[in-house]
Amino acid sequence: MDEKQRRVDEVRRESTELENHLIDEYVNRKISRKELMRRGTAVGMSIPVLSFIAAACGGDDDDDGASQTGGGETTAGAVQPGGTVRVALIQPTTEPNPLLVQDEGGAGMLGATGEYLSFSDENLELQPRLAESWEPNDDGSVWTFKIRSGVTFHNGAPMTSEDVVATFEKLINPDGGSANAQSALGGVLSAGNMEAPDETTVVFNLDAPNGNFPTLVSSANYNAIIIPADLDPADWGQTFEGTGPFKLQSFTPQQGATFVRNDAYWGDKANPDTVDVKFYAEEAPMIVALQGDEVDFVEHFSVAGGKALLDNPDVQVIAIQTATHRQLHMRTDKEPFTDARVRQAIALAIDRNALVDGLWEGLADIGNDSPFAPVYPSTDTSVPQREQDIEQAKQLLADAGAEGFTVQLDTWDGFEIPDLAQLVKSAAAEIGVTINLNITDAGTYYGDGVYGKSPWLDSVMGITDYGHRPVPNVYLTAALAGDPKLGVWNSAHFKNDDYDELVRQYVAALDVETQKGVAKQIQELLLEETPIIFPYFYNFLSAAKPNLQGAVSAATGQFDLSKAGFTA
Amino acid sequence: MTTIEDPAAPIQIPVRDEATIARGERLRLLVRSPGFILGAILVGFWVVCALFGAMIAPQDPQADDILNKLVAPSGDHLFGTDRLGRDVFSRVLVGAREILITAPLATLLGTVIGTAIGLVTGYYRGLVDDITMRIVDAMLAVPVIIIAFLAIVARGASRLTIILVIGFVFSMIIAKTVRAAVLSERELDYVQAARLRNERSPYIMFAEILPNVMGPVVVEFTVRLGYAIFTIATLAFLGFGADPSIPDWGRDIEQHYAFINGGIWWAVLFPSLAIATLIVGINLIADAIAQTFER
Amino acid sequence: MGRFLLKRLGLAAITLFLLSVIVFFGTQVLPGNVGRRILGPFADQAAVDNLNERLGTDRGLLTQYWDWLTGLFTGDFGTSLAQNVPVTELIGNALVNSLKLAAFAFVLVVPLAIVGGVVAALKRDRLTDRVITIGGLSLSVVPEFVSGIILILVFGLWLDVLPVSARAPTGASILTQLEYLLLPALTLVILLFGYIARITRAGTIESLDADYTRTAVLKGLPRRTVLKRHVLRNSLLPTIAVVATQTGYLIGGLVVVETLFNYPGMGRLIVTAATQKDMPLLEAAVLVVGTIFLIAMLFADLLYSLLNPRIRYSGAE
Repeated sequence: MDEKQRRVDEVRRESTELENHLIDEYVNRKISRKELMRRGTAVGMSIPVLSFIAAACGGDDDDDGASQTGGGETTAGAVQPGGTVRVALIQPTTEPNPLLVQDEGGAGMLGATGEYLSFSDENLELQPRLAESWEPNDDGSVWTFKIRSGVTFHNGAPMTSEDVVATFEKLINPDGGSANAQSALGGVLSAGNMEAPDETTVVFNLDAPNGNFPTLVSSANYNAIIIPADLDPADWGQTFEGTGPFKLQSFTPQQGATFVRNDAYWGDKANPDTVDVKFYAEEAPMIVALQGDEVDFVEHFSVAGGKALLDNPDVQVIAIQTATHRQLHMRTDKEPFTDARVRQAIALAIDRNALVDGLWEGLADIGNDSPFAPVYPSTDTSVPQREQDIEQAKQLLADAGAEGFTVQLDTWDGFEIPDLAQLVKSAAAEIGVTINLNITDAGTYYGDGVYGKSPWLDSVMGITDYGHRPVPNVYLTAALAGDPKLGVWNSAHFKNDDYDELVRQYVAALDVETQKGVAKQIQELLLEETPIIFPYFYNFLSAAKPNLQGAVSAATGQFDLSKAGFTA
Repeated sequence: MTTIEDPAAPIQIPVRDEATIARGERLRLLVRSPGFILGAILVGFWVVCALFGAMIAPQDPQADDILNKLVAPSGDHLFGTDRLGRDVFSRVLVGAREILITAPLATLLGTVIGTAIGLVTGYYRGLVDDITMRIVDAMLAVPVIIIAFLAIVARGASRLTIILVIGFVFSMIIAKTVRAAVLSERELDYVQAARLRNERSPYIMFAEILPNVMGPVVVEFTVRLGYAIFTIATLAFLGFGADPSIPDWGRDIEQHYAFINGGIWWAVLFPSLAIATLIVGINLIADAIAQTFER
Repeated sequence: MGRFLLKRLGLAAITLFLLSVIVFFGTQVLPGNVGRRILGPFADQAAVDNLNERLGTDRGLLTQYWDWLTGLFTGDFGTSLAQNVPVTELIGNALVNSLKLAAFAFVLVVPLAIVGGVVAALKRDRLTDRVITIGGLSLSVVPEFVSGIILILVFGLWLDVLPVSARAPTGASILTQLEYLLLPALTLVILLFGYIARITRAGTIESLDADYTRTAVLKGLPRRTVLKRHVLRNSLLPTIAVVATQTGYLIGGLVVVETLFNYPGMGRLIVTAATQKDMPLLEAAVLVVGTIFLIAMLFADLLYSLLNPRIRYSGAE
């Protein structure tokens, strides 16, 4: 019994049941080090403790979620103090209002001065911010967050648990809250179910047990910056009131904003003196601006638009693995797709490797026709990957008696979607299926967003874009659940009781091992049924000048430049 | 030129000169002018492509080959390949069709309606004329590209919308030109004579005056055609083209211009040259026609 | 002169009123419910109705138009739906930007084009003329998005001598601002040169052939004096008209150039407002662009009549 083992035992004694279960999983090599860190932070264990457990209980170092290409790794340490970091950000579509923001540019503005209870970093690990720690009860239905003390807003007022409760009450207010925040917290947390027993404690009483709750109130839910209890969110844009390492100096709608260091910040003070954000309506000028040395950091760019950056040794490309994806749905209640074999045939006709290489230069994960992206710890990667198989596809069509049909594919003109549609069309042609494309603008495709009034939800076949989520729950329920109250975006009109039961089990599961077990069954069921083809999950790309170190972006639009600085 | 408006400066052409030069003579002068010949060759080339492009093109312009994307021009692909590995040469040839359907239809629509409005308002003058011209002035105060853009946002980017909105805006510009010509025409003897014969007004307008203002109408048509092509290409570049699944120069440029600074120029250069040569051709013809009418 | 001015002003006022009607009712055809647009596709219908009531977008169109029109007269252009700030603030910023770029482009292109046009006219049908007219024509038919991209590549990236975006850092001097505006302005010069030079050339040729010029030459006046006193003055008339007609385009129609160079001017403001269904912003912005165009035309009319007495008399009837 050495010193190390003694300390491990000590940690175990102080840990909750959930935490001990996680440590068991790690000790038994059921989860990797990365997963331990990710899940551990999610259930409220501190990073030092986790690092100790990881080191003490062995385990190999696996790959890092974030990778850098292009400029290559540069040695840290030589960062100069101060300076101005110039950022290119996509223009926000609405006023800066924590309730209204539902786009990347807007999220970037919220995160520029505001802080969250925790920050979901590029490895999907939660780093404590305004919450110091968090802990569930035994079944995960009550979560208690310890709020950091001694934090002040930029106006000097102290930030307390009252502000946290008020913030979330505003977000989930059924009458005029944040539609976007509610898409994550709906059915999880209801108004009035939060308490602030003292200045540094907030208790969330959930509607149902939820093992992922800390993620749902982290920066991944980008509306959830903590604002003063007495501030009307509609007035937030005047001051950008927050607690973060930067505070607002000036904001000009549709042009940009300037932020300066907050010298009263509770943590390490920000390194740059100033962060200067310019809004861009389009991607191409952002990329040119980086090449022309007019900005230092491009918050987000696409493979299609940023080829010049990918091939450029003078640019650091920061790639983050995400669950951002496209769904190619086939209506399971409409000919010709009522037969699962026909749906499988289309899925088999597609060459996913070519899509990942061709459309994404390899900066994407291959999809396996379920929402379980490789980035999720709960995904069972042992489920066999579906590969292109033209012969089998033809055979399936023959078996189903559905050879040579013609079908219309509806989608909209944005991102790489028209290209994907074109490639699906050629793939289908190889198995004798004719697809006619009907590509409209986004407004037409999404329509009113309800059944009967939206090509997105009504079309026999269609391609829809889905943004990154830190957990797959929304994809599993909204896009696939048979219950019309849950499956509000079920464009495949998929209805399968076994599936619904499995998803219920999955959401309620508190530990990765159980989740993974259910996930495997869901993955296999969806492969068999194939209501939706998930061709790929692509990376979130940011770019920086080679001399800018320490810039961090989140796949949800926020960026953290407090540690950023220029090397000589 | 072209997305530029010039509503207030219709091309100045003396109208009544058909007595001095016979129509046939004018035509002969026209086909002999070097500008016209060059223009006709350029436009003729693209018309042939529009009609038979699919047969001439060495490859299927839609056939993707994603693993051979963005390949530089070579023997296999004269103009290289685009981001989906499609043959740029074939796409440029076939792409002539879309623009040579929409632009002439839009211009024709604008010319027919504009000529009718110009004839009626110029002939009757009075209140109708005043009101119409004020409305026309008000509409033309807004840039064409903005009007077109609003219409497309409102109705969705379909080929029909593009034709209708460009036709609509052009009809007002053409109406001004035709009206100006009719104003000087209506005071002439042959119109007075027709009135004295108790001819009905529609007859006087369309059978007597119209043939004599055909000069400005034809010139306006050719000039507007150039503008129409420019405007449609610009809309496509802004992402408001008709149908993303049809080869289209403007859209192809939009989709590839981000690649230029990565050294991939062929996917943008060739469609750009196509647009430029087509518009130059049309303008040379317009110029030559205007000159013959001036003589 | 007084009556002429009065009549012109009256006509412009009527046109302006019609423009406001067209703009207001024209933008109503944009699809999509305003409240729905703000709250997103997943918001509760009750919340959407609630918001529409608060914004007043559930009232009759005529009432809305009347309120809007009376608001304009009191300087109240409304509040942007997307940005929740007074529309005047957004338009003010964008308009200043647009005016800067337009003025710079004019300053560059007008003298250049006038010289080009006059030279072409004097060397009529010779090589210089061909080079200027055909060259100018060829340049002006290259779409802005092509010429702009090429300028960015050559001067911004390869030679690396000019900034690639049009907006100078805040607080930059006038000279720095002009440096940033040079590439977009050059794009416009390429576009406009051939066009304006052509009109100047035509005007010059006309006045060269005119009787008064012949008389002046016959009187034995020096060539230089004839050119300055008779030819140039008259050839400038159509040029003024053409320059004025470009104002509307240069203020509100530069969607492509503003996009390429990430310049927040009126064109991009209108496009953004339209795609976001931000009606108050869209209506006010289009109206402002139209008004500026009408003012420019009025100004050109007056200038025209001052320089050319014949117009003044006939126009005054």
